[in-house]
Amino acid sequence: MKLTIDQRWDLIDKIAKQTVTFGEYRHTLKDAIGELTIKPFTGIPIAIAVMYAFWSIFGSFAGFFTDGFFVRLFDAYWLPWLQEVFPGQGGWLYAIMVDAGGIEGGEFVLSDNCLESFGVLTSGLFVAIGVVLPAIVIFYLMLALLEDIGYMPRLAVLIDTMLHKIGLHGYAIVPTILSLGCNVPGVTATRILETKKQRFIMMTLLAIFIPCGAQIGIMQDVIPGLMGWILLYLIIGYFIFGYILNKIVPGKAPEFLIDVPPYRRPMLSNIGKKVWGRIAGFFKVAIPFVLLGAAIVGVLYQLGVIRFLGDALAPVFVGWFGVPKETAGPLIAAFLRKDLAVAQLSVIEMTEYQMITAVVLVSIYFPCVATFAMMLKEGWKELLGAMAVLTVVVFAYGGLIHLIGILLGVA
Amino acid sequence: MAGKSSVAAIYFAILGIVTTGFGIANILVTAGASEFAYGILEISGDLFRGGWGGAIVLFAGLFYLSGARNFEEIHQFSKIVMGSILIWIMAGCDIFAMITESIPGGEDGPWFNTLDGFIGTYAPPYAPAVLLLPFSLVVLYYINKRNQEM
Repeated sequence: MKLTIDQRWDLIDKIAKQTVTFGEYRHTLKDAIGELTIKPFTGIPIAIAVMYAFWSIFGSFAGFFTDGFFVRLFDAYWLPWLQEVFPGQGGWLYAIMVDAGGIEGGEFVLSDNCLESFGVLTSGLFVAIGVVLPAIVIFYLMLALLEDIGYMPRLAVLIDTMLHKIGLHGYAIVPTILSLGCNVPGVTATRILETKKQRFIMMTLLAIFIPCGAQIGIMQDVIPGLMGWILLYLIIGYFIFGYILNKIVPGKAPEFLIDVPPYRRPMLSNIGKKVWGRIAGFFKVAIPFVLLGAAIVGVLYQLGVIRFLGDALAPVFVGWFGVPKETAGPLIAAFLRKDLAVAQLSVIEMTEYQMITAVVLVSIYFPCVATFAMMLKEGWKELLGAMAVLTVVVFAYGGLIHLIGILLGVA
Repeated sequence: MAGKSSVAAIYFAILGIVTTGFGIANILVTAGASEFAYGILEISGDLFRGGWGGAIVLFAGLFYLSGARNFEEIHQFSKIVMGSILIWIMAGCDIFAMITESIPGGEDGPWFNTLDGFIGTYAPPYAPAVLLLPFSLVVLYYINKRNQEM
């Protein structure tokens, strides 16, 4: 059946009469609050408060489980029991699986906590379950809440102008925040960006400047007082090198159009499904890497590879980055496990500034193996490019932090 | 009606002044790298709760002050509500931290805290946001009133 133009308009009028309600639109309180969260002048203070709540609840929740229960469970019960029942004390398998221990007065001495034992079944399990799991659970729960309330699109709009300076747009906040949980889904989420240039910049910045939940969890546990400074250095680096990459990487960085939904009451079932899905994904991808990484680090230590590389590279670490010679080993091991590397650094004697530098270096030094594999999946050219940028960034930014320390008289 | 509205405006203006004062005090105490305690009030000197948190209390105060004028208008009223939400965020985080600290028994104690230790965690002094919390809840009355009028 063919309709004339007039008939079409008549039909449109009929449908409109049945479906459209006419009347005076009254701004509701929800609408007005929605506007407040988008306008920069009022929205930025609100975003600052939301981020504060995010980290405060993260710290309290993770601290409750890790410091309140898991530290005691692992250090007072699990570690001594394993040290006793595992055969071959002092042997290489014992060192890799349970406790690498130490030598005092020519005798083998067992460790008294799981952060110093460096065994797969002790440090590996403690980091995976005692530190990372509570951190990941609360992180994904808070993220799901923000998404389902409808705050994330508003944050994207709010930060859009700032992210355009580094060749990205507001939605880049999604992979960035996801990476704070685990870099692997963060790298996957870069696909929401439109151009190759944007995806490359995002992936490179994630791999270098965004610490994952495992690393944040362990920083919160062993160096809570320095975490703010470390994150500040990483955020500054994120924008400085993002700006530089935007200038030198060819390609387009288009504008984006976003539909901001109204604020909604989150549905418990939705939140549950999202959190469970993400935690299950984390268990499948990251936990095996934590345990495998702990095993490989143990083997490399036993073979003397890390000590050899540490000695060889010590002049660079001491001279260029201004950190003690002993940090060379953990910094090299950071390729496999950044969380374990932070734990190793926390027991080395050094100044606060050196600790900040060393942990920033662990973050920007190299993506963990799981992220490395995910980046390779996105394309080997992108991976090579990101690695080239990373090498330059480590030396430039690491040296710059050392220089700032010298100028401030604290390095 | 106009009388009631002006009472509300005065109330939130005073609350705004007090909240702004607390925010500035928080930032000053943090800048001095010390702690401040007086009676039931305690201002933390650490960078996170004192500095970052202090800035949020300050923003809450400014929202109250900015929204107190022409209080009946929806956009102005939303600023008052937002000031209260910021206080609830801060106080909620402080109370959540208290709850998580009150349950475990501590490093050398038993697995769970004793009843005295548990209750003792909730004893004063309190952070400024916790003290401001009951006063910020007044906004719920006005939200409810506005909903009934619609």
